[in-house]
Amino acid sequence: MASALEIADLHKSFKTGFIPKKKQILKGISLTVNRGEIFGYLGPNGAGKTTTIKCVLGLIFPDRGDIRVLEKPHLSLPAKEQIGFLPENPYFHDYLNANEFLQYYSRLFKRRDGAGDQKIQDLIKLVGLEKSAHVRLRKFSRGMLQRIGLAQALINEPRLVILDEPLGGLDPLGRKEIRDVIVRLRDEGKTVFLSSHILQDIEMICDRVAIIVDGRIVNQGELRSLISEKLLFTEILLSGIDEKALAGMGESVGTQAGRILLKVSDEEKIGRVIKLVEAQKGKIHSLVPRTETLEDYFVGKVKG
Amino acid sequence: MKIPAIAQMTFKEAIRDRVLYLLLFFALISLAFSRLLALLTVGDRIRIIKDVGLGSLSLFGALMAILMGTSLVYKEIDKKTIFTLLSKPIHRYQFLLGKYFGLILTLFIMLAAMSLIFLVILFFHTFTIEWKLLVAILFIFFELCLITAVAILFSTFSTPILSSLFSLCFYLIGHLSWGLEAPINKMKPGIGKTLTRALYTFLPDLENFNFKTEVVNNLPLPSQVYLPAVLYGFFYTLFVLALATLIFRRRDFI
Amino acid sequence: MKKTTLALLLILSCLLFMGLKLRLDRISRERVPGSSFIYMPSGKYLKYASFGYSNLLADLIYIWAIQYFGDTRIVNRFDHMDHIFTIISELDPRFLDAYELGAIIAVYDARHMELAYRILDKGLEKNPDQWIFPLQAGHYAQMLMKDFDRARAFYKKAMSIPGAPAIVQRLYANAAFKTADYRTAWQNWLEIHQSTRDERVKRIASNHLYQVKAAIDAKTLSEAMQKFEDRFGRKPETLRRLVETGILSDLPRDLDGRDYVYDPQTGEVKAPSSPWNR
Repeated sequence: MASALEIADLHKSFKTGFIPKKKQILKGISLTVNRGEIFGYLGPNGAGKTTTIKCVLGLIFPDRGDIRVLEKPHLSLPAKEQIGFLPENPYFHDYLNANEFLQYYSRLFKRRDGAGDQKIQDLIKLVGLEKSAHVRLRKFSRGMLQRIGLAQALINEPRLVILDEPLGGLDPLGRKEIRDVIVRLRDEGKTVFLSSHILQDIEMICDRVAIIVDGRIVNQGELRSLISEKLLFTEILLSGIDEKALAGMGESVGTQAGRILLKVSDEEKIGRVIKLVEAQKGKIHSLVPRTETLEDYFVGKVKG
Repeated sequence: MKIPAIAQMTFKEAIRDRVLYLLLFFALISLAFSRLLALLTVGDRIRIIKDVGLGSLSLFGALMAILMGTSLVYKEIDKKTIFTLLSKPIHRYQFLLGKYFGLILTLFIMLAAMSLIFLVILFFHTFTIEWKLLVAILFIFFELCLITAVAILFSTFSTPILSSLFSLCFYLIGHLSWGLEAPINKMKPGIGKTLTRALYTFLPDLENFNFKTEVVNNLPLPSQVYLPAVLYGFFYTLFVLALATLIFRRRDFI
Repeated sequence: MKKTTLALLLILSCLLFMGLKLRLDRISRERVPGSSFIYMPSGKYLKYASFGYSNLLADLIYIWAIQYFGDTRIVNRFDHMDHIFTIISELDPRFLDAYELGAIIAVYDARHMELAYRILDKGLEKNPDQWIFPLQAGHYAQMLMKDFDRARAFYKKAMSIPGAPAIVQRLYANAAFKTADYRTAWQNWLEIHQSTRDERVKRIASNHLYQVKAAIDAKTLSEAMQKFEDRFGRKPETLRRLVETGILSDLPRDLDGRDYVYDPQTGEVKAPSSPWNR
């Protein structure tokens, strides 16, 4: 399968401080993103996610390593024509309004004098900003900036879309909308590379992930294969049972308004709890098997 | 079409900068002051108005060029608008050139505004318009083109305050470098003299764009200076912009 | 843009502009020196215009003036010197250097003594404690113009200022002598002689007193001799004859008590010793 992005043995260090001390940020990053997938790039703060992305885009020049975008050298203009980029905490020229801004950026591509008006209107609608098309960017909220940022990333119909923390600053509805847009992009055949802290969202939409810790990739691959389906414990929310009767079945996590949340690690004990509740005419409100989440895996990898 | 696009945006942004209008205000004060100064002194009134007027145009024009040039690139880096811009398929030199042309367009408008007021004030005193003045103002504009390039050069690697300082030094050196000529001629011939002369030739000579003396003292304008001066400005500007590109192209934007 | 093309562009444009500069240097442009003078405002407005920085402004104008008056290419550059130094003194009356330098320029460059005196007088007027100003004025008058009248007047002024050095009185006495005011000369030298503790000065005073007395006596004697000549139609054989004939009550002697030397052939009366080698 053709690759959308290939990074091989990427190294980058910076000299910081008054007496320049060399700090190694990227210590040999290698990863592959296939075409047509949504790829998640995870890591704690300072691990080197944004640095990696900036290397790919030619904003930073690596010490060593090779990067190929859509099988072309990453700094070449043909490669850049196919990339769309949304930075973290985007900020754009205040005094332009949404329309003018997209017009401006569209003129930086090889195509004829900017994308047509219709295209721009479509994009604005796609990111949910129809009502603010003529508002100056100065007046945009963080969430709105995020959306217009996504729009400018898509202005050239890129084959590879790189998003750095695209869901930051959005309310839950906004996050859902953007997640839907991202999935739609994949359905249109585009490749999406996104870095994020919000693991639940990654879990929901990514096909493959790579985890970077302290400048090194600790693991990469299909999401399913990284997280085992092993059952960790089961959480049961019940009421009408005396707490003492539950002793030994599991751990009582908390009590609220007469309901007890019980954490049962032993699979066999689940059956016994259910029988107990039936016998004592109590009520089971919910029973949730908790498998390992990405968060558990992630925390495990980061911590050591 | 990429450079004009960036130039246009730069112009739109620059023309909104309040600093420009503040400087314009002070320039107007200075022009008005020339009238006042004429009352207080022993010299010929018209001479003083012309002298102070042209001097103000040059000085405030230079200040505008420096303040705008040094802040514009820095602002883009600081506000991170440069990230999305440079990730697009443009060469870094196209970015710099776009900024440069946007800026000189802005300066042209500002200079035109100041000149208009200057000429109007002068008109009320002399009831004529001298072509000489227009030539002098044109060459002030050429000088500003060079200064803008220098401001952009410094802003590719330095903070606005330092860049402004360096650019100001360039302006001062440019107007004072002629003073080196006499001491050099008095030096004993040798390697020291050759090196100093080479340095002297390299240092900017902004007096080549300054026709104030001729205009104010009603001397004929040195027309044989025109072409060499314009070419001098052009190649010096080219040199500065090439240097800026050299520095800017491998710069990391953290 | 390739690095090599960029480097080439850099070097090429550098060489080109340097070449053009050499060409431009050869085209001579007119410089009108002294044109900055037109900005010299009339004094009273300047103080207002200086916003309280009048001392600084005085300094700046002073520095400018030094360059201006030193620039020999400027035609008639001393025409407004009075004006400029007046301005400086109005801005900062206590700027002592300016008065001194103004006088120096006036004396040596402009050769305008009256201006120098005026400047120094103004200095004294604004700074009554500065005895140096009248002293200098007197000095110029005496040394350059041999104008002992003026010098004397200046020395007198200087003398009356507390703190003036002792030499001023000596200069005054000497100037009085030179202007034939023997009485004043005598009085002052006597005062000096009596008041000083310095052996050297005492001797100097004594010598001057000798000189003054000799001059006074010479005058007396020559008047007497004239009377004799009028009466007798010839010069006296000895000086004694003047007393004998009743023209003089007695014969003046020099300060040391010695007789004056008389040459009957020429009619010359001389002091027996030189004032300086007694």
